[in-house]
Amino acid sequence: MKRAALFGGLVVLAWVAWDTGADPVRLINGIPWILDFLRRSVPPDPSVLPAALAGALKTVEIALLGTAVAAALALPLGFLSARNVAPAPLFQPARVVLNFFRSIDTLVYALVFVAAVGLGPFPGVLAVIAYTTTSLAKLYSEAIEGIEPGPVDAVTATGATRLQVLRYGVLPQVLPLFLSYVLYRLETNIRAATVLGFVGAGGIGFYLQTYLRMIDYRAASTALLVTIAMVMIVDALSSKLRARLV
Amino acid sequence: MSAMIEVTGLRVVLPPAVVAVNGIDLAVQPGEFVVILGRSGSGKTTFLRAINRLVEPTAGTVRVAGRPVTGAGRVALRAARRQIGMVFQQFNLVRRACVLDNVLAGRLGYVPPLPSLLGRFPEADRALAHACLEQVGLAHLAGRRADTLSGGEQQRVAIARALAQAPAVILADEPTASLDPALTAEIMGILKSINSERRLTLVVSQHQLETALAYASRIVGFRAGRVTFDGPPGAVTPAVVEAIYGPSR
Repeated sequence: MKRAALFGGLVVLAWVAWDTGADPVRLINGIPWILDFLRRSVPPDPSVLPAALAGALKTVEIALLGTAVAAALALPLGFLSARNVAPAPLFQPARVVLNFFRSIDTLVYALVFVAAVGLGPFPGVLAVIAYTTTSLAKLYSEAIEGIEPGPVDAVTATGATRLQVLRYGVLPQVLPLFLSYVLYRLETNIRAATVLGFVGAGGIGFYLQTYLRMIDYRAASTALLVTIAMVMIVDALSSKLRARLV
Repeated sequence: MSAMIEVTGLRVVLPPAVVAVNGIDLAVQPGEFVVILGRSGSGKTTFLRAINRLVEPTAGTVRVAGRPVTGAGRVALRAARRQIGMVFQQFNLVRRACVLDNVLAGRLGYVPPLPSLLGRFPEADRALAHACLEQVGLAHLAGRRADTLSGGEQQRVAIARALAQAPAVILADEPTASLDPALTAEIMGILKSINSERRLTLVVSQHQLETALAYASRIVGFRAGRVTFDGPPGAVTPAVVEAIYGPSR
């Protein structure tokens, strides 16, 4: 049984390798081109540094605003899609809506919003909100489903309303987890926002793509280094904050 | 005078098909200290939780302090719950919240709902919460996070939370089962003093015979979801004990 599954898996992979034209020889033949690309990328061009930094800042802004708005919008959705606290008739619909919208990536949303509101960082913000709201709602709901029922019983027994029970029995248990998830989403959104510029939704990605198109590899490598530094700094700050939360 | 707690024909079937409480009639008079005695699984917890409808009764009626609990709508149920303080085996404090906030939760049924959602409580309610903490001897720990307290202290905070409801009745479900003997005496002593000083009606479940006999004014024995004994502690004979706990003891 195990052996058959393994064999079956290998057959699928072999077919997929053939179907995608995966060929080690082609990769080896391409190595000189990669080296040529790297050679033409150094040294990085310092003259585009101000533009790249401005682009990076815009990317951080897109991720920050998008994540913050999504963190708030996801709150009601998270409670509505948590089995143990949602009103029964709303639970299933909330789940379906979440899973539907969550299956679409930020980049696809960006394409839609660029078409809708035009180029620039704003469609980027909207795209981050659209994806992050549903993905955070899902994480929130799982945190809510993992709470201890005892304090909820205790607050219910005082004669509290449903909202008061959520506020005093549920929220204190999940709030640190929520904040930790928001910071984690901020980290991933910084990365996601770097490519948003490729489809015209602003930020460092826009510069990176422009330099690559102009075959200005030295400028592109400056933009790339700035991106790496930006991601590393945000990751470091965010993981430091997260460590203090839980 | 009418009974403080009036339970008739109470039956609770828990999913999938466990008959936890199988037809109980019980009237508790004001000021009584009733201890419900029984083995684990005899239906004590389910019975207590059915009184304030944390568990929905399958059949029967419950009235507390003159108000119907069974059949009450949302608003009426909250009003009924407000006058029924509850203390749990596992304390059920919100661990991350401070002691005073945990006690303030007992005021949620009284305070204006909207400000309470923002964490604001009227000054009078804060003062009352403080007084309740004082009654259990923990006023000096008001600002501490609940999970930094010992088990006995946490149970005292839970009692203060129940007192903050200004209840007519306190239900305590195995309040000492998670505590050692010295703390058991302390917690039962606090409950007894609440009973005698405030004339509050208490219904406390216990699986320990000696503790039950030492504090109760009335013992109710449960077995398999039914009442097998109901009388003063002095009337608890070896035959009664056997009827409650079974011959294997």
